[in-house]
Amino acid sequence: MKIENREYKLRDFIKIPYAISPGMASLRIVDKIIYALIPALQIVTSALFIDTAISIFNEQAESKKIIFPLVCILLLIAHQYVNFALMGLVKSKMDIKLTEAFRTAITEKRVMLEYRHIENNETWDIISRVGNDPVEKIGGGFDIILRMGDMVIRVGSVLFILMAQVWWVALVVLCLSTPLFWLAVKSGKAQYDASKEAAKHTRRAQYLQSVLTGRDNVEERALFGYSDNLNKRYNEKYTAAYKINMKAQRKRYVRVKSASLTTILLSILIAGVLIAPLGSGEITVGMFMGFVTATFGLAQLISWDLTYITSELANNREYLRDLSLFAQLSETLGASDVPAVKSVDPQCIEFCDVTFMYPETERIILNNLNLRLHAKKHYAFVGVNGAGKTTLTKLLTGLYDNYTGNILIDGKNLREFTQSELKAMFSIVYQDFSKYQIPLTESIGLGNINNATEQDIINALDTLSLTKTVSKLPEGIKTPLGKIKGNGVDLSGGEWQRIAIARSLISSATVHILDEPTAALDPVAESEIYGLFAKISEGKSTIFITHRLGAARLADEIFVFAEGHIAEQGTHDELIGKNGIYAEMFEAQRGWYS
Amino acid sequence: MKKNNFFKAFVLMIPKFARVSPVLFVVFNIVCFLHGIARAALVPATQFFLERASDFTIQKVTLSDVIIGLILLGLAHICRQLLHGVHHIIMMMYWRRTEGVLSLEIHKKLSKISPIHFEDTQTLDDMNKAIQGKDEAVWFTGSTVTAISFYIPYFTFMAVYLMNIKPILIILLALVFAPTLLAHIFRTRVYAKAEDKAAPIRREFDYYELCLTGREYFKETRILGAFIYFKKLYTDSLAWLNKLDFRASAKASIIELCVKLLSLFGYIGILLLLFDLLMKGEISVGAFAAIFTSLEMVFSLMREMIVDNLGESAKNLSRVQNYLRFLQMPEREGVDTEIPIDVDIKLAGVSFSYPGAKRKAIDDITLILKNGETIAVVGENGSGKTTLVRLITGLYLPNEGDVFYGDINTKTASTLSIFKRISAVFQKYQRYQMILRENIGISDVNEIKNDNELDRICVQAGIDKADNSFNNGYDTMLSREFDGIDLSGGQWQRVAIARSFFRTHEFIVLDEPTAAIDPIEETKLYNRFAEISKDRTAIIVTHRLGSVKLADRILVMKQGKLIEQGTHTDLMALNGEYTRLYKSQEQWYKT
Repeated sequence: MKIENREYKLRDFIKIPYAISPGMASLRIVDKIIYALIPALQIVTSALFIDTAISIFNEQAESKKIIFPLVCILLLIAHQYVNFALMGLVKSKMDIKLTEAFRTAITEKRVMLEYRHIENNETWDIISRVGNDPVEKIGGGFDIILRMGDMVIRVGSVLFILMAQVWWVALVVLCLSTPLFWLAVKSGKAQYDASKEAAKHTRRAQYLQSVLTGRDNVEERALFGYSDNLNKRYNEKYTAAYKINMKAQRKRYVRVKSASLTTILLSILIAGVLIAPLGSGEITVGMFMGFVTATFGLAQLISWDLTYITSELANNREYLRDLSLFAQLSETLGASDVPAVKSVDPQCIEFCDVTFMYPETERIILNNLNLRLHAKKHYAFVGVNGAGKTTLTKLLTGLYDNYTGNILIDGKNLREFTQSELKAMFSIVYQDFSKYQIPLTESIGLGNINNATEQDIINALDTLSLTKTVSKLPEGIKTPLGKIKGNGVDLSGGEWQRIAIARSLISSATVHILDEPTAALDPVAESEIYGLFAKISEGKSTIFITHRLGAARLADEIFVFAEGHIAEQGTHDELIGKNGIYAEMFEAQRGWYS
Repeated sequence: MKKNNFFKAFVLMIPKFARVSPVLFVVFNIVCFLHGIARAALVPATQFFLERASDFTIQKVTLSDVIIGLILLGLAHICRQLLHGVHHIIMMMYWRRTEGVLSLEIHKKLSKISPIHFEDTQTLDDMNKAIQGKDEAVWFTGSTVTAISFYIPYFTFMAVYLMNIKPILIILLALVFAPTLLAHIFRTRVYAKAEDKAAPIRREFDYYELCLTGREYFKETRILGAFIYFKKLYTDSLAWLNKLDFRASAKASIIELCVKLLSLFGYIGILLLLFDLLMKGEISVGAFAAIFTSLEMVFSLMREMIVDNLGESAKNLSRVQNYLRFLQMPEREGVDTEIPIDVDIKLAGVSFSYPGAKRKAIDDITLILKNGETIAVVGENGSGKTTLVRLITGLYLPNEGDVFYGDINTKTASTLSIFKRISAVFQKYQRYQMILRENIGISDVNEIKNDNELDRICVQAGIDKADNSFNNGYDTMLSREFDGIDLSGGQWQRVAIARSFFRTHEFIVLDEPTAAIDPIEETKLYNRFAEISKDRTAIIVTHRLGSVKLADRILVMKQGKLIEQGTHTDLMALNGEYTRLYKSQEQWYKT
């Protein structure tokens, strides 16, 4: 299935499972209907049983007459028991189908999303909420709707039998229970609202708890000794949430219990008015007993279950709201495509008056940026954090296209390239590169998904001096990396970094970009990485993004980013000669290192 | 064995549980007891009323007798409903409050545990499990208490009632108990086994989904075009997982069915027994109907007790034990001592290795830091610089050798007395999602309201609270998540430095943060730090060899050893490790 872009409503809790697994969904619906009718059937059968038993006892009937009602009762019980086991299986089958279809559809949609939704915290929250165990949510919604139907049928069928006996009692019950229904719905809603209100405090308490228990701040926590103070504040927040919740709970119990008491009074009333027909023989002893026990039983059902269902329903609605928002999120055409087999080898990449800000933000990141890159040259982008260096690579690779101005690749607008062409053109070693926990060959092979040969990979390992590391691995280059597989082996930070570079090395992309490695590398180790990258990028177009201005000297041309545009450009010597920003930054850094 | 553990854990937990509010605890138990009795009392009340009603049909009793019976039944129901409400609300309140109290206890405990435990992944893992185990511990204790004070009185009352009617009816309880227990045991076995098999595949499946959709993988997976690759792994592992799940579910269903049939036989048995007694005239129609209609409740309460209460508790037992073990963890001890202000810090033959590591992180270092001296520590990644600082500040204690403040050993003094005079900017300085005032003042919470001091420190650290970005002065929340503002990396660094200055100190440490920011800005900041710390004992850990020239003394670390020390000129003359490091950096900046 596909996630359609539309508003999702309560009925979708039935529609989606039904569309995915009509057989299982129907079975569960039919089962629920039968299940709901049981109390009514029970009244009838047990009445029959008791009446027959009394007749037999009074020697008005033969004892074998009891067999029929006995079998009926047993069938009802047997049905409930067998059913319970079988429906477990049906539910599990339905969940499996939902996982295959619905969860996969969610995942596929996520893969296709425009990148901006991933970086935007607000949309990301929606995405993660929708993606967090979607089957449980849809299955839960399905359940709750069934339970609602179950309750209506259950109460209705008992009333129906009552009506057949003494019609006016049923009417009275119906009139009196409407306000009860309303009360239960209201208290379910109130409970939901309270939990939302308390969530604010809870979130704060959870944050404080993370400060009090987290590993990252153990040093400050110990040295500054603020645990006692924060603990007090944690307690305040926790208590605030607790009080809100408990107040709501108390109210809820009062409401629920007043509903219960009313139904009990109602049950007494019913039993009371039935006494007369019982005396006159209009209804049998069995029927009378059946009613009395059933109506008292309903008291619990209406007040308790109804409140629960209402509050659950509100929770489930929330999911539908999220799902609707999620479905609306825009996608990138061709986002899941593999890189084109034949990659364009651009001679010139040009940024013309490019202005960009991240969606939903106000800060201008790129401001009328102009620059031109040529084939087979090495470039360095330098500048302070937030000057737009990394952002520029996101535009180049098509992750964002909401910029003004144009990016031209050999004169052709970047927006006219397909995702697959762009993927084939660029290879990036990201600052926060991925540590793919899959077999080593594949972790590197992903760099050239169309045709990476084993020889390429072995060569790459050799170039990056990883051969020794690999020889120590239990299954050589086939060894799964990381802790996902039981026989996996974890690598050190530096080794992971080399794997990421190896991916770029075997890539057939024509432009290679190295975003500054920020993992706690000391200057010596960092220089080594730059050296390696320079080595692998011979004969290719490359861009270094770096803070370490010394390393920028390796480049043919340096672009200095400041306030969203290129403030200076030229070779190292030219820039030093200019005595501008670059020279000042270089001097400052030189002071650190020499 | 297991039962024994269960019992032990319960005995350890119960005082913690009851202590939260002894009065409420007693009230809770009384209410539980009454509720249990009230539930069971419904059966005789029903019996009483139905007997009168059926007697009424044969004119054995009057209408008012029936009505009295009805009123009694109604009262029984009302009692039951009210007690049910009170029971549950107290339970909810008590559980939640206990969770809160246990959290506080955990936080307190954590503050007394030596920071070294956070470096050992095994211990860290155990600690995390223990923290998560807290809620289970509450549930475990509460459920067991409920079993004792609610379910047991209920079943006892039922037993007495049934015995009174007819001793043989006591079999009824056994016929309910045995199948429920058996069903539970079998079911848990099947699921536990299935989960053991499925867990690794589930982990893989979740991981592949993460590779496809996770934030940290998203852009790279997209640009590599790796969707197809991961989609295949995703689909394959899902198919396999589903197969296992279905198999387990089928197996569980079959077992469930068998056991349910057993229950059914139990039920038939009960029914036949009742019928037989009814026919023999040994029980009344009313008693028959009352018992017969309450069977469902007996079954469901039995299931609640065995499956939901005791079963879940047994399942959570290991978590609870984790939690209890955590509370037993050794705490850092030491006596409060007054350390004089102007003492030297001495390290005598100090060695240290991280738990579980074979290599010594610090190897036999002897050293004296003179009062007021500024020291720079340099060396490659992993040479032990940060560990050395942690030993000097007393955050860690050496495995061999001693660290002295004057003549006071860090091993014997309490952390409070050592830390009193120390402040620091750590490598992983924190970005607290709190207001600006707290972000700075957290280093010395007693002084947090002292605005004059805050003003002074902010000027020193280069923070301008009148800056537009701080929309609410010192009360500006520094977190988007809590409706505040975001700071840049450079601003955060200044906040961290302000935090360290805010704390009264004689000795200060700056462990160079690794995140790079604006070089010009950063240079200013470090110069400022050096200036302020001029008259006090200070240690600066850094990669930037150019910036250490000003230090009184430079320590060069390599593989845990202190291999060189002296001034820049001294060290250059040695032509050793320092020279090597210096040259390797300098080459990038030679003009």
